[in-house]
Amino acid sequence: MKRIIVASLAAALAVSSAVALPATIKIGAAETLTGDNSSYGISIKKGLELALQEINGSKFLGSSKIDLIVMDEKADKQEGISVFNKLINDEKVSLIIGPTLSSTAFAADPVAQQAGVPVLGTSTTASGITDMGDFIFRDSLPQSAVIPGTINKVVAKYGVKKAALLYESTNEYSKSEAGVFKSALEQAGVQLVGSESYQKGDSDFRTQLQKLSQKRPDLYVFASLIGEAVPVLQQAREIGITQPIVGGNGFNNPAVIKNGGDAAEGLIIGASWSITNDDPKSVAFVKAYNAKYGNNPDQFAAQAYTGLWLVATAIKNAGSADRVAIKNALGAIRDIDTALGKFSFDDHRDPHHENAVVVVKNGAYVLFK
Amino acid sequence: MDLSLLTDPVFLAQNIVDGLSRGALYGVFAMGFTLIFGVLDIVNLAHAATFMWCAFVGWLVMAVGGLPLPIGLVAATLAGSLLGVGLEFLAFRPIRKEGADRLSSMISSIGASLIMVSIAEAVFGVSTRRFPSKVLDPRPFFIGGTGGLRISRAQILILVASTLLMIVLGWFIRKTRTGKAIRAVSASTKASLLLGINVNGVIVRTFVIAGGLAGMAGVLVALLTNYISPPMGSTVELRGLAVIILGGMGNMEGAILAGFLLGLVETFTIAYVPGGSDIKDAIAFLVLFFILLVKPEGLLGKKKADRA
Repeated sequence: MKRIIVASLAAALAVSSAVALPATIKIGAAETLTGDNSSYGISIKKGLELALQEINGSKFLGSSKIDLIVMDEKADKQEGISVFNKLINDEKVSLIIGPTLSSTAFAADPVAQQAGVPVLGTSTTASGITDMGDFIFRDSLPQSAVIPGTINKVVAKYGVKKAALLYESTNEYSKSEAGVFKSALEQAGVQLVGSESYQKGDSDFRTQLQKLSQKRPDLYVFASLIGEAVPVLQQAREIGITQPIVGGNGFNNPAVIKNGGDAAEGLIIGASWSITNDDPKSVAFVKAYNAKYGNNPDQFAAQAYTGLWLVATAIKNAGSADRVAIKNALGAIRDIDTALGKFSFDDHRDPHHENAVVVVKNGAYVLFK
Repeated sequence: MDLSLLTDPVFLAQNIVDGLSRGALYGVFAMGFTLIFGVLDIVNLAHAATFMWCAFVGWLVMAVGGLPLPIGLVAATLAGSLLGVGLEFLAFRPIRKEGADRLSSMISSIGASLIMVSIAEAVFGVSTRRFPSKVLDPRPFFIGGTGGLRISRAQILILVASTLLMIVLGWFIRKTRTGKAIRAVSASTKASLLLGINVNGVIVRTFVIAGGLAGMAGVLVALLTNYISPPMGSTVELRGLAVIILGGMGNMEGAILAGFLLGLVETFTIAYVPGGSDIKDAIAFLVLFFILLVKPEGLLGKKKADRA
């Protein structure tokens, strides 16, 4: 009896998958497109639009097309909630990609969880993002998956004994990243001789850096967002810091090299994706991105590009644009080839794939060895 | 308190230098702010937007145009004066004619500020701009070798500029004809009218000076922090407001002194109090509160009746 039900269910699913996909499937994207952190959102938008062009152009979903609705959440919690509400209630999207920052995600994601709309974060790396509910996914490696390996490599190479940490205390993301750095340093047997913070809107970090340098650390660790990443680096060099510097995820952005100039030389970053990746899908992505935009993609573009492809794959596997069906199909993704490498979601809807450690050398990222 | 840090004289001297230059930043921003307040009795909340636009003008002239720093400073000062006069004619005079109260003038300045920031976002985009190192060498001088007292060219520039501006403007306001007229209008608009002073003319001149000061401040602050972006004004605005209250409303020398004080308090809190960077604002505003408790008119302020 049981077997017959399962079989007929499977048959029904198979039949429905052939007919169930509507002509257009609405996917929302809530990203930071204005303000200090917009360089992330703009990269993400470019990655999404490249994937959209490929998915619709190659008829990946047969005669169905994805309709991508991109909205600006301005890196603001309230704005994030209102954009989520608009996408869910007015646009009736099947899934939401975003938001850009973890701090916005902590405010907005519960709205989608409550409404039963799956969310795929492509840049949120704070701990606890997917704890918000079973509809919340991300394809961006959490800090805890990237940082310990990075710290271990750096500590081994330079024989680090004492480290100092600077982070923004008014942002959940930087605070969480600072926490992960602290425990990674402790695990690696490094003494944290100083920890200083600054607030959103600060632009002078010299006193904090000077205070840290008084403790003579042999490694500096900075957990900043892109808005502050460059001034923090420049002021660190200005006060005479020559020791190795490890930057958090916020530093993994070509703008840091472009604007930081000499100050960015020697900066070490643990990254979920690097332009130096030689996976065929990654190489193809870099080529297509260059053809479309005329410049190199960053990690955020790669994660967003992969994100929309994951969504399209889930829709295809589910054979449905239904929110719950997409959620289940997304959660079932294991070992598929993507621009981020061989990709799986774990049971906790967090991503699993290899990561890279890179260092800035002569104005470009190269693999850290 | 961290005792090993307290006994380090180089670190102490360093904090004084950094605190003063951080304070000079607040002070030069607040000078034009407080001047308008003294004359018109309104808080010109578009001052921060003027300041931001001038930083961009300086950036265009020096980073894009490749011209040297003195020309960039002059261009930004002129742009600030122009913007100031524009604000007077577009945002303040029309509603003053209608006999508007102070609150409507302030609301009008908020509107002007929003428009100016939005245009800047549309024109320049939202990514942060920085001066290339050829504008002003970012490498600091070290007195007593590496590890000694550090001071950068931008810090020297802003410290010298703020001190000079304080002296020159103090003299200007007290001794020149225009300065005296500004003080007269600031004391009483009605009495000045009766005395035959061209009040509108004085107000325009006030905006020329205040705007020019915002312009200079824009470039100096952008050099010190190496951060130019449309929201840059809002980050100094609150402290600027605190500084003009602390210095004595309408008093430009007071603004610079109050700026130095606020900068020193913030820096010393970060440097010597464990976890100080998280409570620096709280400590700074606590100090402000107590000073105002003892001297409600501010450091150099006079009571309204005998001002000017």
